[in-house]
Amino acid sequence: MRKLFAVFKREYLQTVRKKSFILLTLLMPFLMAAVVTIPGLLIAKSFGEKRVAVLDGTGRLQEAFAPGKIAAAAVEGAGSQARKMPGAGSGLPTLVRPEYTAFTGDPRAAAAPYLSRLTGRNLREDRKLDGVLLIPVDAATNAAARLTYYSRSATDLIGQQMISEVASRALIRLRLTERGVDPALLEDVLRKTNVDAVQVSSTGEQKKGGEANFIVGFVFAALLFLPMIIYGVEIMRGIVAEKTERIAEILISSMSALQLLGGKVLGLAAVGLTQISVWMAMGGLVAGAASGLALAAGMNLGQFLRPAIVPWFLIFYLLGYMIYVCVYAVGGAMANSEKEAQQATTPAMLVIMLPWFLLAPIIMSPDSKLATTLSLIPLFTPITMFVRVLVSEPPMWQVGVSIALTILTIYFLFWAAAKIFRVGILSYGKRPTIPELWRWLKVA
Amino acid sequence: MDTVLDVRAVSKTFGPVRAVDGATFSVRRGSMTGLLGRNGAGKTTTLRMINGVFLPDSGSISLFGSTNGGDATRDRIGYLPEERGLYKKMKVFEHLLFLAEVKKPVTAAVRARAQKWLERLELSDKRDAKVEELSKGNQQKVQLIGALLHEPELLILDEPMSGLDPVNVVLVRRILQELKGEGRTILLSTHMMAEAERMADDIVLIHGGRVVLSGELGRVRASFGKNTVHLAFEGDGGFLNALPGVARATVAPNNAELQLSEKADPQAILQAAALRLKLSRFEVAEPSLEEIFIERVGGSTLSGAEAAP
Repeated sequence: MRKLFAVFKREYLQTVRKKSFILLTLLMPFLMAAVVTIPGLLIAKSFGEKRVAVLDGTGRLQEAFAPGKIAAAAVEGAGSQARKMPGAGSGLPTLVRPEYTAFTGDPRAAAAPYLSRLTGRNLREDRKLDGVLLIPVDAATNAAARLTYYSRSATDLIGQQMISEVASRALIRLRLTERGVDPALLEDVLRKTNVDAVQVSSTGEQKKGGEANFIVGFVFAALLFLPMIIYGVEIMRGIVAEKTERIAEILISSMSALQLLGGKVLGLAAVGLTQISVWMAMGGLVAGAASGLALAAGMNLGQFLRPAIVPWFLIFYLLGYMIYVCVYAVGGAMANSEKEAQQATTPAMLVIMLPWFLLAPIIMSPDSKLATTLSLIPLFTPITMFVRVLVSEPPMWQVGVSIALTILTIYFLFWAAAKIFRVGILSYGKRPTIPELWRWLKVA
Repeated sequence: MDTVLDVRAVSKTFGPVRAVDGATFSVRRGSMTGLLGRNGAGKTTTLRMINGVFLPDSGSISLFGSTNGGDATRDRIGYLPEERGLYKKMKVFEHLLFLAEVKKPVTAAVRARAQKWLERLELSDKRDAKVEELSKGNQQKVQLIGALLHEPELLILDEPMSGLDPVNVVLVRRILQELKGEGRTILLSTHMMAEAERMADDIVLIHGGRVVLSGELGRVRASFGKNTVHLAFEGDGGFLNALPGVARATVAPNNAELQLSEKADPQAILQAAALRLKLSRFEVAEPSLEEIFIERVGGSTLSGAEAAP
């Protein structure tokens, strides 16, 4: 035990004291925050500038395109998609700045000068257009009438969706009014209906927050990728380095391979957990501050997250961490160089990532055959079983069996890594024969 | 006679290569034993098997009277492997403590000893340097301290002098003599016969994986008889190996070692040599280890035949 601890201590301290580790630990949360927010801000910024000419053949929709009205209308009308769009409804003065003109006669002739402003060069900044919406003369009376939206890029989907949503709602109002519906009544009839998701559990408690579950599930899965990407590779490298830097010989003459690998794996696992604890603490502070603000604003974020899932989070996180790290340890033990080790572990990693691609269906139907099966396969247990516990209530025996199987698998992988490592050192580049391997597995 | 290490009929095969072939020898407590042989003779493989890095295909190795090779045995051994291995990014002092800790708990006494050894080996200013910043020779000295910091009873050193400059060679030689004086047993491998001759009490000569000669150095030499003439001279000694009665000669620019055939008369050699050379030394003695080595091993290598045991 002392020997294992000596290796553990060395591994932990040597890594934690590295400047790169300290920098990464402190800066990663800011980096992540930047990665998450900056594209949103950029989109919102570029979006705030959209200038669209509205050519109204009916001549009666001016009010709908009045400046200031459009943002509110778009948010109300476009529904959840627009609401989720970064920047929408976040107090930007206008997402689309319409330039309203009524016209009569030939729509082509009317549109021509605007279309040239869409493509023309050498125009003053405030004369430039990002889009032109053409509402035909018979739009109010002809049910089959089609609006046309011209823009420079065919992928200007957000602008197109927003402006056409406003236009079509305005047209609906117009058509209903034409048919004699009271405008005051219209407002009530057209109001969007929102749906609240409520999860009912066997204990009878009711929780809102289907969307929050989605987010927690993804955050958990994403957090599990860190050990795979950072520490798995680190352990693999460390094990290969023991061999290439020839330290293995002196260590293996002083302790068993199980002690050596045990110390290494646990040491680096402790490093990873230290880092993630720091991140979670930092994230917790931010979340705490945010929920404080939300509370002040009259929202209770706590209703989205059950405190009961915290232990599950920890249990499955630890299991996931260890199982991935042990897969890498086996890869490192088999290989004689880092490149070889990468090649050995890549297929295994692709398999392990399977639940990640299936995350959405699993979250949506957590008790399906697919989800149940996956959650009982040790390599997939950490992500899938956690998600099931999170969004549903799988039978306790399934949870118990999955945890037991995972622990067994971790132990087996670790044991195999130690044995393979031992034999690898002994053979020094030469592939051991099967009888040799067997004899060593018995002895080492 | 108290035996610390007993190697019995040990063999190890790597694929088609028989690295060690039925090697048998033992190491006396408190002795310094030299394991001699050419490159690839099987010295390192033998030492690795003794340290439990390799498992012999057959035969047995007993350390301190036990063959189980558990922690209790391992911790009484200090090992300097042929392929030096240190963590390059670690600081020297920390690294030493780590090497000690995998053997025995690190106490204040161990720290003090580490400091003392660093001073002794002129490394005290490198205490907090990273291993990778050290020269190769200095890394080797660090590794040596690592091998003896836990005060092992048996010190196994694979080519301890390789990579050291002459001053360090003398320093390490003196340290090894002191350790022996403390009653520790030392087994060292080398291909430098002169080095072994200067330091070892016992020798084990290994060739082609087989032990071709072993025993106390003095007795081994005596068994070859006083049939060797050592000469120091000025002039061209090229004719010496053609003299009658000379079985084999090793002639250098101003000295030579002549192996006489049986019944040859050293006096006749002296007279013949004195005629053509200005002699400063003429001695009839036991052969040097190098001569013994060449006689036992060199000839067979030159003729390409398997070394006879």
